[in-house]
Amino acid sequence: MLSKTDNRLNYFKWLLLAVSVFLLLLVSPNCSSSQKQFTIWIGGSPEEINFWETIVKEFEDEHHYHLQLVRQPTYSDQRRQALVVSLEARQPNPDIFLMDVIWIDQFVKSGWLEPLDNFAKKENFLTGQFFRKTIEQADSYNDNLYALPVFIDVALLYYRSDLLKHFGYQNPPATWQQLLDMSRRIQKEERKTDRSFNGFVWQGAQYEGLVCTFLEFAASMGGGIMQDDSININTPANVRALQFMQNLIQKYGISPENTYTEMKEEEVRRTFQRGNALFERNWTYAWQLHQSDNSEVKGKTGIELLPHAPGDSSVSALGGWHIGISKYSDMKDEAWQFVKFVTSFKIQKEMLMRIGWNPGRRDVYEDEEVIQKMPRVKLLKEAFDHTIARPTLPYYPQVTEVIQRYINNCLAGKESPGKALQTIAEELKQIEKLYEE
Amino acid sequence: MRSNSRYNLKETKAAYWFNAPLIITAIVFILIPVAGTLVTSFSRDVTFLPSKFLGLENYTRMLGDIHFWQSARFTLFFVLVSICLELFFGMIFALVLNETLPARGLFRVAILIPWAIPIAISGRIWQLIYNYEYGLFNFFVQFFGISDKPISWLGSSFGAFVSVVIADVWKTTPFMAIIILAGLSTIPGDIYKQAMIDGTNFIQRFFNITLPLLRPVIVVALLFRTVDAIRIFDLVYVLTGGGPGGSTNSLSLYAYNYYVTGDFGYGSAVSVAVSIFAALLAAAYIKFGKFKEAIK
Repeated sequence: MLSKTDNRLNYFKWLLLAVSVFLLLLVSPNCSSSQKQFTIWIGGSPEEINFWETIVKEFEDEHHYHLQLVRQPTYSDQRRQALVVSLEARQPNPDIFLMDVIWIDQFVKSGWLEPLDNFAKKENFLTGQFFRKTIEQADSYNDNLYALPVFIDVALLYYRSDLLKHFGYQNPPATWQQLLDMSRRIQKEERKTDRSFNGFVWQGAQYEGLVCTFLEFAASMGGGIMQDDSININTPANVRALQFMQNLIQKYGISPENTYTEMKEEEVRRTFQRGNALFERNWTYAWQLHQSDNSEVKGKTGIELLPHAPGDSSVSALGGWHIGISKYSDMKDEAWQFVKFVTSFKIQKEMLMRIGWNPGRRDVYEDEEVIQKMPRVKLLKEAFDHTIARPTLPYYPQVTEVIQRYINNCLAGKESPGKALQTIAEELKQIEKLYEE
Repeated sequence: MRSNSRYNLKETKAAYWFNAPLIITAIVFILIPVAGTLVTSFSRDVTFLPSKFLGLENYTRMLGDIHFWQSARFTLFFVLVSICLELFFGMIFALVLNETLPARGLFRVAILIPWAIPIAISGRIWQLIYNYEYGLFNFFVQFFGISDKPISWLGSSFGAFVSVVIADVWKTTPFMAIIILAGLSTIPGDIYKQAMIDGTNFIQRFFNITLPLLRPVIVVALLFRTVDAIRIFDLVYVLTGGGPGGSTNSLSLYAYNYYVTGDFGYGSAVSVAVSIFAALLAAAYIKFGKFKEAIK
C-alpha cells in the first residue's frame, strides 16, 4: 500500500508531465499542415484588416498555398519599426509586406527588397497598366522594379459648389490667383453671418502632411524640393510659393490662424464638413465623408485638381501603400504569386468598390461599372497622372523633420520665407553629409 | 563583519549553483544588451550604409545637435517640475491619510487607482480630456465662459509641457504618497506628544520632526522617481507624440525615433546619454541626500 505522501508525489509527477506535454504542444510548430506556408504582415484599421483577410482567403482558394496573415498595429510608425527590426535581423518572415511610399527608398538601399524584374520578365508581366508616374516615382530605383502600388492617394481641391454658384462663378478655380480672389470675396460676404467662415483650409501643422502641401504649392508654381537626385530647396520659385502660403494666413486672412498649430487631415476635413470653409485641400478619403448623412456639405461639394500658377500645371503629392517581397524570404516565387494577385484587375476593382481605396492600375478607372457607380474616378485618374513624389532619400525621416519645422515656423510668421528656406538648405546639407557615402 | 571563512568550499559552490540562474539571466538579458548598445553607439550602424567603427563621432555629433539638446532640456525640466509637484502633493496626501479619518482604508485604496492604470492608457485618457473639440477641459472652458473659443491644450509648446506634467503628476503622486505614508507610520507617536506638550504648532512639528525623520524615505522615493522620469517615453509617445514641433520630445523618444528610421548607431548613443544623465542624477542624490547615513 502506498503512503499518503507517495500518492501525492505520484499525482504531482503526472500533473507535471501533463503540463509539460501541453506546453510542448503549444510551442511546437503546427505540424498538421504539410503545405509550405509564407507570411504577410498587414496593419491598419480593423476594416482594413478584414478586407485583407478576405483577400488572403480568396488567394488560398485559388492557389492552394497557405498564406499566414500577421496583424500589425494601426500606426504606420509602429508598422515600420517592426519591419525594420525583422529585416535588419534577416528574418525569413515576413515574406511580403506593405510599405508607405516614403519608406521604399530606405528599404531598397538597405537591400531588403527583392527586385521584381526577373519575375515580371519570366511571366511577361507588364507595368504599363499602372500609373507611370507612380511606378517611376515610388516603385523603381535605377531602372529596377522593387514594389508595386496596392493603393495610392492624391490630394484634391474640394469646393462648395453652392456658394460658388451663388456668387456667380461657373467653374472652380484653376489658378491660385483665382482661388485667392474667390476666397476673399466670398469670405467677406459669408463672415457677415458666420464669423468662423474661412476661404481656404489646408494642412499646415507641423507634421508629414505639411511637406505634402508645401511640395504641392511649390511644384505648382515652378518649384520643388529635389533636382536631379539631390536636394535643391532654396530657390526663388520656392520662396514665392512659401510666401504665398504665409500670405494666405498672415496677409489675406483667408486661411485661419490654427492652420499652423492644428490643421491636419481630420481638422481640415471637419472644418469644411461643418460648412465653415469655401475651399479645402485634402486627400481623396474626404469625399465619402462629406457625402455622409450628417455632413453639412452633402450634395454641395465639388472636387477639382489642385490649382496652379499660370503656365504651370496642377500637381499633387503622391501617397499610398506599396507591396514588396523581402530579400530574405524563402518562398519568393509564391510571394510573387500573391503580389500579382493583389495587384490584379479583379482584386483592385474589388478594393475600390468595397472599401473605396484608389487602385494603382489605370484600367480600373476605365471600367464601365466603376465609372457608372463612381463618376469621380475620372478626375482621380487625371490626378494620378499629375503626381509628384516627396524626396526619395533613405534618410527622408531626418529631412522631413527639418522641412516641417521651418516651414511651420514661417507660416506662424516667425520667419521670412527666404530665411526659412535658407536654414532648411543649410541643415539638410549637414544631414546629407552624415548619410551620403 | 561577514567573512567568507564562515562558509566552507562546498557551501560556496552550492551557493554559486543556486545563484546561477539569476547570474545567467542577468548576463543574457542585461549585461549583453547593455554592452551591445555601447558598442553600437561607437559605430555607424545605419541600415542603408555599410557599417564602420566611428569612435566618438556619434557623441560629437550629439554635442552639436540642437534637437538633442532640445530633448535634453525638455526631459530635465520635466523631471524637475513633475517630481517637485509629485513630492508636494504626495506629502499632502500622505499627511492627510495618516490621520485617523473615517473610511481611511477606502481612501488609501482609492488614491492608488491612477498608479494602477498603465501609462499608455492614462496617456490616452488625458488625450481625450485635452481634446480640442470634445475634451473635458474645453467643455469647462466654454461652460464657464472662460474663453469663447476652445483652447488648444496640446497645440503650443508650453501647453503641451504643462499637459504632460499634469498627466504625470496625476499618475505618479500616489506612488509618492504611499511611500511617504509608509515612512510616516514608522515615526513613533510619542515624539509628537512630547512636542505638543512643549507647545509647538503644526508647522513647527512638521519641519522639525516629520521632515527630518522622513528624509531617508523621501530620498529613496525621489531617487526612484527621478531615474524613472528621466526615461519618460510612453506618456509622451501616446499623449503628444513629441510635438508640437519636437517641444515634448523626450530623450528616450528621440532615441527611439532614430531606431525606427534605421540609424541604430546614433540612437544607441542617445540611449547611452540617457543612462549617463540618470546615473549622474542618482549619484547626486546619493551624495547630497546623505544616502549612507539615511540607510543606517
